[in-house]
Amino acid sequence: MEDESFCNISGKPISLDCQSHSSFCREFTVSTPKISIGKVMVYTCSVWLFAYTVFFFTQNTAVLSSAILITLVGMMLHIHFVKVDHESLLVIGSLGIQVSSSYASGREVTTFIEMSKIKDIVINEAVYLHQIIYYLCVLLRDPSEPHGVSSVVTLFQSSKPRLNCLVKIYKSCQEILSTCK
Amino acid sequence: MVLKIFFPQCCNRADSGLLVGRWVSGHDSAVVLAVIHYPFIPGQVKQYIQQVQAQSGVELSVLGSWSLPKDGQEGMESFLKDLSTIFPQERWLQISREFGKTGFTYEEQEDEEKVIFVHYEQRKVMLSQLHPIQVQDSESHSELRQMFGTVARSQPLFFMDKYDDGPLKSTHWQSEGREASIIVELLKQASAPLCVLLSWLLAVWTWICNVRIFTVFPLRFLASKLSTCIQLSYRTEHLRTLSSPKADSRLSSSVCRKANILVSVLVDVALGVALMWWLYRDDHIPMLADALVPAADRVAQQLEELLQWLMGAPAGLKMNRALDQVLGRFFLYHIHLWISYIHLMSPFIQGILWYGGLSACLGLTFALSLLSDMVALLTFHIYCFYVYGARLYCLKIYGLSSLWRLFRGKKWNVLRQRVDSCSYDLDQVTPYIKNIMVKKHNSCLSPHAAVPPQINPLKCGAVVQTYRTPTYSCYPRDSWAALVKKLFVGELIYPWRHKTTKSD
Amino acid sequence: MGQRKKVGAVKTSSSENDTGEASKVSPKHNICMVSDFFYPNMGGVESHIYQLSQCLIEKGHKVVIATHAYGRRKGVRYLTNGLKVYYLPLQVMYNQSTATTCFHSLPLLRCVFVRERITVVHAHSSFSAMAHDALFHAKTMGLNTVFTDHSLFGFADVSSVLTNKLLTVSLCDTNHIVCVSYTSKENTVLRAALNPEIVSVIPNAVDPTDFTPDPSQRPTDRITIVVISRLVYRKGIDLLGGIIPELCLKHPDLHFLIGGEGPKRIVLEEVREKYQLHDRVRLLGALEHKDVRGVLVQGHIFLNTSLTEAFCMAIVEGASCGLQVVSTRVGGIPEVLPEDLITLCEPTVSSLCKGLEKVIAKQRSGSFPSPNSTHARVKNLYTWRNVAERTEKVYDRVAGEEVLPLEKRLWRLRSHCGPVAGSIFAFVAVLDFLFLLLLQWLVPDRHMDFAVDATGPNGLWVKKRQKSEPGC
Repeated sequence: MEDESFCNISGKPISLDCQSHSSFCREFTVSTPKISIGKVMVYTCSVWLFAYTVFFFTQNTAVLSSAILITLVGMMLHIHFVKVDHESLLVIGSLGIQVSSSYASGREVTTFIEMSKIKDIVINEAVYLHQIIYYLCVLLRDPSEPHGVSSVVTLFQSSKPRLNCLVKIYKSCQEILSTCK
Repeated sequence: MVLKIFFPQCCNRADSGLLVGRWVSGHDSAVVLAVIHYPFIPGQVKQYIQQVQAQSGVELSVLGSWSLPKDGQEGMESFLKDLSTIFPQERWLQISREFGKTGFTYEEQEDEEKVIFVHYEQRKVMLSQLHPIQVQDSESHSELRQMFGTVARSQPLFFMDKYDDGPLKSTHWQSEGREASIIVELLKQASAPLCVLLSWLLAVWTWICNVRIFTVFPLRFLASKLSTCIQLSYRTEHLRTLSSPKADSRLSSSVCRKANILVSVLVDVALGVALMWWLYRDDHIPMLADALVPAADRVAQQLEELLQWLMGAPAGLKMNRALDQVLGRFFLYHIHLWISYIHLMSPFIQGILWYGGLSACLGLTFALSLLSDMVALLTFHIYCFYVYGARLYCLKIYGLSSLWRLFRGKKWNVLRQRVDSCSYDLDQVTPYIKNIMVKKHNSCLSPHAAVPPQINPLKCGAVVQTYRTPTYSCYPRDSWAALVKKLFVGELIYPWRHKTTKSD
Repeated sequence: MGQRKKVGAVKTSSSENDTGEASKVSPKHNICMVSDFFYPNMGGVESHIYQLSQCLIEKGHKVVIATHAYGRRKGVRYLTNGLKVYYLPLQVMYNQSTATTCFHSLPLLRCVFVRERITVVHAHSSFSAMAHDALFHAKTMGLNTVFTDHSLFGFADVSSVLTNKLLTVSLCDTNHIVCVSYTSKENTVLRAALNPEIVSVIPNAVDPTDFTPDPSQRPTDRITIVVISRLVYRKGIDLLGGIIPELCLKHPDLHFLIGGEGPKRIVLEEVREKYQLHDRVRLLGALEHKDVRGVLVQGHIFLNTSLTEAFCMAIVEGASCGLQVVSTRVGGIPEVLPEDLITLCEPTVSSLCKGLEKVIAKQRSGSFPSPNSTHARVKNLYTWRNVAERTEKVYDRVAGEEVLPLEKRLWRLRSHCGPVAGSIFAFVAVLDFLFLLLLQWLVPDRHMDFAVDATGPNGLWVKKRQKSEPGC
């Protein structure tokens, strides 16, 4: 078990945790930093200040209560649907790949891909907003065509690690994949 | 190759015994279904396995041994090892676990292999809908699907009760509280006659629908236009699906679809009843009826004002006086007709609303479609104006475009559907231009007389042509650009016609 | 061959200026070709970029191509020999050219330039807005730039006045400009008010192995005139429409074979219908590049009726297949082929007819050299390796130049482009610079991953090929 720190594409530090359960079973966990309290304060204060200015001109108290409601609901939605705490990739040779991402609220989304459906794991390049980034993805086999790729599953979609981190994960994934093929 | 053992979670703490399960064919993996405890008679075990196999259709076999030595059971291991001679198998699994430790030990007689031990929860796997229904081609399926299928099909095994006084004791998941589903059972019993009744009613309804009088031209045409009728046909279709005999009810997808339809119908009806409750609670219907006639009056008045404005000099534009007078009077007369019709109807409107409201018990969508029909009928005059206007505009655009082509020395080749260049003589051009100029003035009176021969013949078909209301399954993919284009060219946008339905 | 000598002279003079010539091993560059026009779009510019890139890769340079997304083709693709193509999602406005707002392409282009460690930006075609944007941004980012002009322009009408002004601005900063013929150089120097010393002439090339003659395919009982061009106004299709009936009336054994597609196809169809020449004028529609040779070898005479042309590849291809070339005397066409291989006419129907009649008469008398001898002469005139070598020299020269700092750049813009336009574009340049600073603050260069090289000195594809070659 080792813990290393890398950066994601926007320069935020992330940590990669590689756990080797056995020679053909490895787990990679990329964790993103927690939400900083300062950021929460800034957003909350800005919403409240805006609400207070509106209240100052309209003298309508509903504005203030709705501002509180908005910040609370917004925060809840953010930690439940947007903020991903860590993403993990569990590779078990000859069985499959389990991808899970757990949100800051504790919600966890897990996908399992069977080994017989996996064609390969590759690093690819893509245009993402105004950047061109590298990402790791699983190529799924097309059942009708032996050499075709039916679709692509993107890994570490929300943490977006940089190339050096991806290469590390890629190499150890390939070790497992090559032994069980 | 890696050996995979799927082990049920409930057997983690089971007493030592025999592992019963199945080797997944084509893959190097085993599914453990149950543990049969000591003591047993090998003959009985074999008989039992055959019995279960006959019930479930799964090729069961003894996979190996399981040992979890408790206090005072020391000599078990050697005995369990010897068992492999009693149950001859190609491979013999030996799994053991020590009490109080988390790990499992797997002992292999032959070569050193890697083993993956996968715990699964029998109940969840059995109840999940993931397992394949078609078992014929199970060889081609992936091992996980086969494993799911194996567990799901060995349902009879799980129904054997732990407390049964059988010759064998075994550990596996078993259902608890089957009696809690009495209501479900009752519903199942009741559903069959209900379905029969429903299908009989439907048969009657279809027979009524198929009476010859409804297939005569105007009625059928009307039925295809009124959203109420379309809604009715959908509803019939849904109910027919619901009440259809469950020939392939094993297919989870069809069960899902039925449940989906049932829930949607129930929600629809519930909302409809809520609407009815609101309508009939404190005299909302008379209020609505009273509001309707003045609203129609106001719309008519505003339309009249607009027409008066157009008949003068709208926005300071100098118009063809005779033309706009003729058109304006025509439309004014139209509005007058309509308003008198509405006033004639006004005593009955409350009744219509009252009875129409009753239809909400068939579902909210039904009430809404009725409302849409009523609105469409009440505003039919406005739609008529739109159709007349659009037609006139369309004609003008065609005329202008042909004039423009004429000036450029081009003409529309009808045979080849393209624009050809053509050299006109002056005496050829002059009558055309005159013709079109004249047409600009009196196009509304005789639109066909002045169309030059090279113009693509207009598709002045019926005002309303057959069109398909988009159902929930096939929405037409239309864009705003198409709408704007149609508006510009002057094609009708309400009975929305697709380019593909156009026939050249 | 007078023209060729001139080309050679310029070549040597430019290499004398080159300081990098002294050291034996010329430095390897990281080149980014930018143009709106690239495959899957078909045309001269596209194949020029592709062929030039392939030859530069062969010489050990790293080449990437940036173009806009074509339909579903967006993102990063690799072509033969690891040629990396960025299909950037930029909005296409008109005629496969992107909208030029001067700013919106900066983030993505910057990303490409930084992650590929680009040293030279090479933009193609003055019709391409993306190329102009790239020149502008590259200068803002402090990179050296080269521009290749593929087309001729007028001076009179409104659109060319505007385009010329834009060209003046975008080329005033460019380190070096490459034109495909002397006429084109003249034209570009005049249009963009450039110093002629920074303009080189490197003609296009054809792959001679693709265009070999095959006289057995020619029908002997008739004379076939082949025309292969896009059927647009610029290519003089209206002239062709005048020529066809006149010649067909005089020579009953004359056939026309016309390849290409475009809005002017209708002109030819009408002519065909009007004079009932359906059996003698064949319209083949759009041709793929690989099918062109199959059409060319069926003919005796190649006809080009272009109204404006910087360097006509089609006539070289035609001559390479051993056809007699008849062409209009416009633009850079007179420089392209030696005089005995081409018959030049004025761009009028009567002149073209006269020229064609002469060639037909000669063809009948059989006084032309054999196709194979023509092919042998044309074969070595224009090769891509030659083009790549000369382009490499341009890069070597450009790489040594220093990039003007912002204030000097602004001063130059103002002094070079006039007070009004210069000031406006100086303001735009400042905005661009500020935008770049903003982007550098948002996503600093150090947070961008360097791309793994496919080509160039450390190219993975090149290494793989070298490894596999001895084995094979």
